[in-house]
Amino acid sequence: MRLPAHLYVHVPLCRSKCAYCDFYSLPLSSATEGTTAVANSLAAQALAWLDRDVAPRPLRSVYIGGGTPSVLGADLARLVEVLTSSFPLEPDVEVTIEANPESLDRNLVEALARAGVTRVSLGAQSLDDTVLAFLERPHDAAAVRAAARAVHEAGLALSLDLICGIPGQTAQSWIDTVNGAINLGPEHVSVYPLSIEAGTPLAAAVAIGDVQEPDPDVAADMMLLAQHVLGQAGLERYEVANYARRGAESRHNTAYWTGMPYLGVGPGAHGMLDVETAAAVGFVSARTPGVARLRYAVACDLSAGLTPMPRVDTESLSRVEAAREDVMLGLRLVRGVHEEDIVAAGVASVIDGLAEDGLVELVDHRWRTTERGWLLGNEVFGAVWAGE
Amino acid sequence: MTDPTLIRNFSIIAHIDHGKSTLADRMLELTNTIADRDMMEQVLDSMDIERERGITIKAQAVRVYFEASDSQTYQLNLIDTPGHVDFTYEVSRSLAACEGVLLVVDATQGVEAQTVANAQLAMNAHLEIVPLINKIDLPAADPERVRHEIEEGLAIPADEAVLTSGKTGLGVREALEAVVKHVPHPVGDPDAPLKALIFDSYFDAYRGVVALIRIVDGHVRKGMKVRMLATQTVTDVEEVGVRRPANLPVDELGVGEVGYLITGLKDPSLVKVGDTVTLAKHGTEDPLPGYREVKPMVYTGLFPIDGDQYPELRDALDKLQLNDPALIYDPESSHALGFGFRVGFLGLLHMEVVKERLEREFDLDLLATAPSVEYHIFRTNGTSEFIHSPQDMPDPGTIDHIEEPYLKVTVLVPPDYVGPVMELAEGHRASFKDMQYLSKTTVEMHYEMPLSELIMDYFDQLKSRTKGYASMDYEYIGYRTSELVKLDVLLATKIVDALSFIVHKDKAYARGKVLTEKLREIIPRQMFEVPIQAAIGGRIIARETVKAKRKDVLAKCYGGDITRKRKLLEKQKKGKKRMKNVGNIEVPQEAFMAILKVDE
Repeated sequence: MRLPAHLYVHVPLCRSKCAYCDFYSLPLSSATEGTTAVANSLAAQALAWLDRDVAPRPLRSVYIGGGTPSVLGADLARLVEVLTSSFPLEPDVEVTIEANPESLDRNLVEALARAGVTRVSLGAQSLDDTVLAFLERPHDAAAVRAAARAVHEAGLALSLDLICGIPGQTAQSWIDTVNGAINLGPEHVSVYPLSIEAGTPLAAAVAIGDVQEPDPDVAADMMLLAQHVLGQAGLERYEVANYARRGAESRHNTAYWTGMPYLGVGPGAHGMLDVETAAAVGFVSARTPGVARLRYAVACDLSAGLTPMPRVDTESLSRVEAAREDVMLGLRLVRGVHEEDIVAAGVASVIDGLAEDGLVELVDHRWRTTERGWLLGNEVFGAVWAGE
Repeated sequence: MTDPTLIRNFSIIAHIDHGKSTLADRMLELTNTIADRDMMEQVLDSMDIERERGITIKAQAVRVYFEASDSQTYQLNLIDTPGHVDFTYEVSRSLAACEGVLLVVDATQGVEAQTVANAQLAMNAHLEIVPLINKIDLPAADPERVRHEIEEGLAIPADEAVLTSGKTGLGVREALEAVVKHVPHPVGDPDAPLKALIFDSYFDAYRGVVALIRIVDGHVRKGMKVRMLATQTVTDVEEVGVRRPANLPVDELGVGEVGYLITGLKDPSLVKVGDTVTLAKHGTEDPLPGYREVKPMVYTGLFPIDGDQYPELRDALDKLQLNDPALIYDPESSHALGFGFRVGFLGLLHMEVVKERLEREFDLDLLATAPSVEYHIFRTNGTSEFIHSPQDMPDPGTIDHIEEPYLKVTVLVPPDYVGPVMELAEGHRASFKDMQYLSKTTVEMHYEMPLSELIMDYFDQLKSRTKGYASMDYEYIGYRTSELVKLDVLLATKIVDALSFIVHKDKAYARGKVLTEKLREIIPRQMFEVPIQAAIGGRIIARETVKAKRKDVLAKCYGGDITRKRKLLEKQKKGKKRMKNVGNIEVPQEAFMAILKVDE
């Protein structure tokens, strides 16, 4: 029994909230804690795991997401330094920080590199200023280019986040964004179709008819186009939304899709533990029968979620559920799931049904989604999880 | 028994929302019939749905004792009647148990369609009508105008109209004094054999069928053997009593009195509203006038969303029918929807109420198909039949002609809205008959139109096109020939029987087109393209397509929040379960009602 080899830290702060975002974060202006206090608390919460009665495992990945971790500035570099100097690490550990162009300059990138960061995931979203303004992003395209250059110059791996299917985004705008992103030389690109999330300003604008709901067909075409153009540039899709040069796939995100346990630290962070570890740290009673896996969420509350041992909501999964979840998540990956694992999870007939609908196919003993199944992922994942 | 000269039997009639039930509440309070602590609103409306919607569905009879200004104590029997046109027959029977009515008119709204209709029912029953102008506490109250409307529009003298407020209790004593003064006392022969009118009945799980009766001649007491003339049912009288409003047993009910009679019968269909109760031996053979079999006018298919709930639906219908003999049903099976029932109702309100009670009181998830009426099909071979489901429509080649039920519709509306009412009528195959000014502010318009058109969203449209000012009433005037065709709807080239409907030939193209457009909006995109077609006898007249779903994926990942992703998938799945699988197409419930909303 050991602690997970993957660590996620959630920085719940942003310069300002974007119109579409429903992730847990607060604009700096309304946060009751300063950046230094937040960074210190996050570090303390992470280190508290080392005080528990479970031996650590050398970390294979650290991911500091948000929110916008780069708004912590120099405090972010100190946070990374505390983590990389306190936890045992694999020699080739992947340390990713998420950053926004408006809060990532050359000095910060260099400080981060010195602290042990290996990879920067840059929230570009678009290279079209009109689109960026619509999304209420606090930066323009020029800032994206400058930040990307700084990442490269510091010798760090670059990943770019892009969003398609945005109201008012033309096909040309999207092509220009994808090509412009390729020109910035990223090792990794994430492409997300915009989804309208309840409670966001964008959802309100859609509800009153100010903004037209994104057309899913248009988004599908844009996703297909991105796959094509990025593939030609050597960035192959390896997951629903993720593209990478060979060997530059995100190790941390891959852990999510392959059923690896991970620690989650910070308000609104999520973690996953095997049942033995969960029992050892008191998240589940050791005698609860039938639990195989435990997922937990740290309270979405700036002060409560920043204490060293914060309150967590937990969700127990049985062995059968964990197996189905592994298949569901594994099918997000282009390489899919081995047929033996499908049978072991008891979803062989579900998969057969999906194959009949042309959503999955068997290649070299592995089931994987077809192009249609990729775009209709919810049909695939929903059926596998429901087991019917 | 009470001296009939000290008895007054009366009913309160009103347009919906004119304050009838609140006024009744005040009368029960004033006469100390109900202790304050037991008082709740709409005492006489015992069903939740009645209270929530402010409507009366079941008749009620309550006895109160009132000491009038002449120092005499009178026995007043207040018979509360359903206020809706669906229950016109029940209302007429309740009125037949009375000698007079209080006609309640809202001091702000004035005379409305049901005021006219109810007043006419009372006049036809030769009842004394005591007008009463209610809600005079409201700032917008205009009793003078309303008085004028009653006199002009209804030809009822209103200079002595009682001014009341059900809310404050003002004028309630005066209203009861007016009942004593103006409503004639009952007259009957105490020495003749028992002759009593059944004006309503209900089923008690422990005691069987309980009839609400009005004694015309003779008397009835516990232990007698009685006979119902229409059904020739003989039964013992287990108990007689009066409602105050809880049951209070009495030794005997005599001439003019109103009360209940417990039969012990377990089959409600043996005790029919409007039937005459007499002695089993040496009784009268001369029934009271006005009895008729109630016949459903509107039919719909009710199907459980979850096919496993079919037996529960049957049990629930059986139970509801005990208290609602007008509800009839037969098993119906649909290729699209599986097993369900074809259920007949007195009207649209009755249908809504029953569906709501089935879902609420029996926890059923139901899908209702669009309502239809009963068509009379005349075949070329000389035979004829009634059908009440489009599915039963025979091959058009074998049909000589079809008749459908027609209504005389009365609409009361301010003069400014005559135009919109005329336009709406044109869209519903209604023929204009006449129109007259009841007053400067109210026009009465008469139409004749098919019932099938009235149930096509006519009332909602009427309300919205007249900004809520119009009120409506209707009566059946019989069957008339119409050129009707069955219109089928095909999903993915297969006929969905539950979506078929019968429509006038001239309207078929327009309705087919609008319906397919409507269905395209309602049916969510599926994994494959779904063509929607409207067809008459195999000929396609309209087509739309629901495009195949191409993109549906939760792409972004919030810091490993897998739980949320799963929850969203589960929610999506649940949404699908609420839809009906027709073949392999998920069809939302509202699709089956879409035809009602295709006002072109």
